[in-house]
Amino acid sequence: MKLIYTGGILPFIILFICGCNSNPSGRINRQASVGNNASLPENPLEMTPMAVSLQAEAKTMSTLYGNSIASKRLNEVANYAPGSVVYLVTWKEKADSEWFGARIPDRVATIERVSIDGKGQKSYTFFKGPAWQEGLLLKGDREAIILSIPIATSP
Amino acid sequence: MKFKFKIILCIACLVLLAQLIRPEELSTAKAQTAKTLTGVPKEVANVFETSCFDCHSAQTNLRWFDKITPANFLVASHIRDGRKALDFSQWDSLATPQRNAMLYFALNGILSGEMPLSSYTALHPSAKLKEKDIALLKNYFLNNLVSKPGDAVSRVGQPKVKEVKNSPNGVAYLPGYRNWKAISSTDRFDNGTIRIIFGNPIAVKAIHDGKTKPWPDGTVFAKTAWKQEKGKDGNVYAGQFVQVEFMIKDATRYAGTKGWGWARWKGENLLPYGKTVKFDSECISCHRPERNNDYVFTTPLDIKDFKK
Ligand code: HEC
Ligand code: HEC
Repeated sequence: MKLIYTGGILPFIILFICGCNSNPSGRINRQASVGNNASLPENPLEMTPMAVSLQAEAKTMSTLYGNSIASKRLNEVANYAPGSVVYLVTWKEKADSEWFGARIPDRVATIERVSIDGKGQKSYTFFKGPAWQEGLLLKGDREAIILSIPIATSP
Repeated sequence: MKFKFKIILCIACLVLLAQLIRPEELSTAKAQTAKTLTGVPKEVANVFETSCFDCHSAQTNLRWFDKITPANFLVASHIRDGRKALDFSQWDSLATPQRNAMLYFALNGILSGEMPLSSYTALHPSAKLKEKDIALLKNYFLNNLVSKPGDAVSRVGQPKVKEVKNSPNGVAYLPGYRNWKAISSTDRFDNGTIRIIFGNPIAVKAIHDGKTKPWPDGTVFAKTAWKQEKGKDGNVYAGQFVQVEFMIKDATRYAGTKGWGWARWKGENLLPYGKTVKFDSECISCHRPERNNDYVFTTPLDIKDFKK
């Protein structure tokens, strides 16, 4: 009895050892990373993260990023100033394989850009990600929706 | 022949004598009356009771071979370390959110393949979890233990805390993390929070260069948690600030804590978390299943510079 059980563990130990050596350079969430093939003028992931949101029905999660002018709103209560550029990156969610109880970004669904020029004129651009599907985004004035996302504030 | 017999007799005597030396915990431990996890359905509680309670509660039910010296010393050390990491005996004194956190902690210990200890299931095969036990647990969690977001509260600005006290282990607060990059975000339905994991420039470069095993000295992660709040549009947003946690890599300075300086500041007043210098053993214990990934859970985003 004892022997069978101890013997049964061995293959698992061997599997386990192989499992850790297979990727010596560490893990990266490549499919959620934004590549520069989407004709984007800049990489939104390089900007300052300002807010996060979840869309339960579409099973997506988003992060709002801002340039240095937009991200002043992390510290002051004010409207977006001229020169602000914000991006809303929306990913499909997936279960976190490391923690039952968490969901993390999967493939990129959409990237939206809103900029405010020197005269206060706003413009909106839409980029389709590999996980884009019809009906993923809340309908309406996307520009206004994005600019009214509540900032994730910290003390 | 006679000589061999003498040796066997000697060994037998030694083994018998050794039985007089016993770990104190085990000889003083009384058989506790069975206590169940109140509020949890019987079949779910049963799984934990059968497979975990021997090492993670006051209710140890030892077999005869567990009580033989020297095995009993190993058993005693398992119980000591096991209860330090997770103690189901505290169940009755915990509020619902802490109970839920304990259950998720336990389930993740099982899913990571760490628990119950394989050295234990080798001798206690009935403690081994079957596929159907794990399915039963997952199903119960997803149907009963999923946090619902609260209603949105309007909030105007967030006063900054001027002076933040050090963590009990001496780690100092790092105020500039909001200017770092987001290496991931998580929707934590186990406790109803939404999180951003920030990485400092050293972390971001290490990811891009594929040099994260181990992470280089100077790497810092900051993880912020906010309560989930449901907006009028039905989307969930980051509401009240809950806490910020740091992991600061310095293989020499923090050699005693797996190479990382661990710290957590809670609430809008940023009060340092932890009662003693060694509070961080709690962090390490939960991050331990990630020891092959340098104790880091997050699978980070690669943040490319498009101009290069
Ligand atoms: C033979 C004793 C034993 C049994 C049975 C056992 N554990 Fe453990 N457990 C330990 C010990 C010892 C530790 C501490 C490990 C350390 O710190 O090195 C531990 C640690 C843990 C941790 C902390 C994280 C980690 O992986 O180190 C969790 C969670 C846990 N156990 C859950 C469980 C659950 C759930 C069960 C039942 C399915 C279980 N354990 C059964 C001995 C046991
Ligand atoms: C009950 C389990 C648990 C405990 C206890 C815990 N963590 Fe974590 N930690 C996690 C998980 C899971 C993640 C992955 C991100 C997420 O899902 O929120 C994580 C991620 C982190 C990260 C981001 C880097 C990474 O590893 O992914 C930091 C920093 C961190 N934790 C710090 C701490 C500190 C400091 C403590 C102790 C005060 C602590 N943690 C205690 C489970 C835990």
